[in-house]
Amino acid sequence: MNRKRALIADTFCLTKRRRCAADSVTGDSQDGAADIRSSLKYLVTLFSRKLFNDSLPPVVLKHQLYSLHNDKTAVDKQVVRSDCFRPTYKYSSWQSVPDHFIITVTHSEALVFSLPRQNELRENGELLMFQLGFDSEAFALVFAEDYRAKVLQGEAGRGTLGTVEKFLAKLIPSCSDLSFNKEKMLKEFLFTDSEITQLVKSGVLTVRDAGSWWLSIPNSGKFIKYFIKGRKAVLGMVKKSKYGEILKTELEGRRTTSQVKFQMKYHIHDIIGAELVECIQTTSGTLLRHVDGNVN
Amino acid sequence: MLSFLYARQSGLDDPVRLRRAESTRRVLSLKLNHNRDVDRIHGNGINTLDIEVIDGRYMLSGGSDGVIVIYDLENNSKKPQYTCKAICTVGRSSRHVHKFSVETVQWYPHDTGMFVSSSFDKTMKVWDTETLKPAEEFQFDGNVYCHHMSPVARRHSLVAVGTKDPKVQLCDLKSGSRIHILQGHRGEILSVRWSPRYDHILATASTDSRVRIWDVRRASGSLFTLDQHNGDKSKVSSEAVNTAHNGRVNGLCFTADGLHLLSTGTDDRMRLWNSGTGENTLVNYGKVVNESRKGLKFTVSRGCSPEFVFVPCGSSVAVYGLHSGELITMLRGHYNNVDCCEFHPDYQELYSGGKDCNILAWVPVLRQPGIEDDETNSKRGGTQAAINPAFEDAWSSDED
Repeated sequence: MNRKRALIADTFCLTKRRRCAADSVTGDSQDGAADIRSSLKYLVTLFSRKLFNDSLPPVVLKHQLYSLHNDKTAVDKQVVRSDCFRPTYKYSSWQSVPDHFIITVTHSEALVFSLPRQNELRENGELLMFQLGFDSEAFALVFAEDYRAKVLQGEAGRGTLGTVEKFLAKLIPSCSDLSFNKEKMLKEFLFTDSEITQLVKSGVLTVRDAGSWWLSIPNSGKFIKYFIKGRKAVLGMVKKSKYGEILKTELEGRRTTSQVKFQMKYHIHDIIGAELVECIQTTSGTLLRHVDGNVN
Repeated sequence: MLSFLYARQSGLDDPVRLRRAESTRRVLSLKLNHNRDVDRIHGNGINTLDIEVIDGRYMLSGGSDGVIVIYDLENNSKKPQYTCKAICTVGRSSRHVHKFSVETVQWYPHDTGMFVSSSFDKTMKVWDTETLKPAEEFQFDGNVYCHHMSPVARRHSLVAVGTKDPKVQLCDLKSGSRIHILQGHRGEILSVRWSPRYDHILATASTDSRVRIWDVRRASGSLFTLDQHNGDKSKVSSEAVNTAHNGRVNGLCFTADGLHLLSTGTDDRMRLWNSGTGENTLVNYGKVVNESRKGLKFTVSRGCSPEFVFVPCGSSVAVYGLHSGELITMLRGHYNNVDCCEFHPDYQELYSGGKDCNILAWVPVLRQPGIEDDETNSKRGGTQAAINPAFEDAWSSDED
């Protein structure tokens, strides 16, 4: 790799870090969530509502956030359930330890455990995550208010409205599960079998297995179909370019085929975040290069 | 750097700090060096490398042609240009050579008098380094993908062997017996690794997408299975519950302190686990390209802070920060797929071998001296500025 500047360890830039440590460390934990929220809001604007006649809430994919933020682990921390996130870091004596870590000193190392992070977005019930089904790693994120509004709008006038409202009331404040099994539905949520059938009929739940259901977005079938077709078309555009690579700005400016129903930028964030194309920084901007071995 | 030296000298800092900082700087500046070369003996791809722990001087390599070579890594010539010579080989002409590809080689952890190699010819051979003849040979029913001896064990000398059979076999070097079996996996065992912290903890990875941690002293099954979702059954489809990866798990590596375990899988992901509790630390490394049908051999640095993971990715070696998950750099230099890499902890060098039959040595770049430096500077002790050659006195003689 031709590097004009060598990689330097953080420790050797110690003096500079100390000066701005005061601003960066305290600012970080609050800024992290705000950053993610603003990125989500930006991605929501890229979603084409009119395509689905306004019946679908704006859907953003979790890996689209990776294309906007460098640190994937930090993004995951904000979005994934916080109680499964407990890394142990081994800090050496000189590194400044952010406030939300606790330190236990063992015989030779200081092991630092992070407290269960304030996962503002999902714990507060602001954000809902869904398993879309076409890829085990592709998760959809929807703002809870949008989801509730659209679902109730779709259910207006139908008999299942009451059950759906009850379900949403239970779901939105605290629950961050992607799927539910029968005991949970019957015991915790106190739904009856017929009510569960109504929920499946309304599209809020999708069958996963005998006795368990995925949380889903009603009318999302069309979304998934257009999404997969559009993704394939955009990847094809990158592949067919000369040398299999294209500048990001140029791709954004290209005319989309009829296969691509979403905005180009939406698809570009998706393919960069899912690492279906290689992202290379050049002097003329970001270059997207087709990666061999991708059958998508 | 000077501030570190001064701080160490005056007692402000722990001595370890300077060592860690300098090791990290060296690892970050790994590059191919035209002065360092490794003898090219293998005629076919290189599958495995191992550097002995005691001196860090001798390196073993096993190739797809069944050949095993021992190299001397130490530079005794006084010149910077050095080729690591092959001291001895178990070549195709030897009577005891493996018939098919050698998949794993490992030095005996306590001295270099012995090494163990396992191969696709369904055997595992324990060699005497002096005579290069096998002292012991273990026969198996299926291809042997990997084996590992515990680096810290004093009370036992068990070799864990992973073969096509879902049962992990433990062979005892002292008695030659192989009756101890670990049952629990449902697919071929692609990687086995002993913990460097406890001599009874073993991790195994298999094609059934599971990684199991065993305590070999227990009679019952595994201690636990690593679950990528940390018990959150709601996230996955029901078949994928309790799996470590969404594909075959083909690489395992413990960190040097044994507290964390890394696993790579054919779902192009690498995961970092807490080896004590089996929890997924959810560090996201992104897409770690992995197309290997056999085991993948990767390694973690030692003595740096933060630690680095070196993973063969296609025809280059990817360097990731262990706890941050960011891709630091890609080491490009091989002409074909890289199969294995090994880190030399004393010199912070990386040796990688692949299908192009080359072993490349990635050497840290030395600190660059000042801009005006040339040979005259080093003779004067480096304190005076060098004189431009045009002004050098090349005509007056000393007799004046």
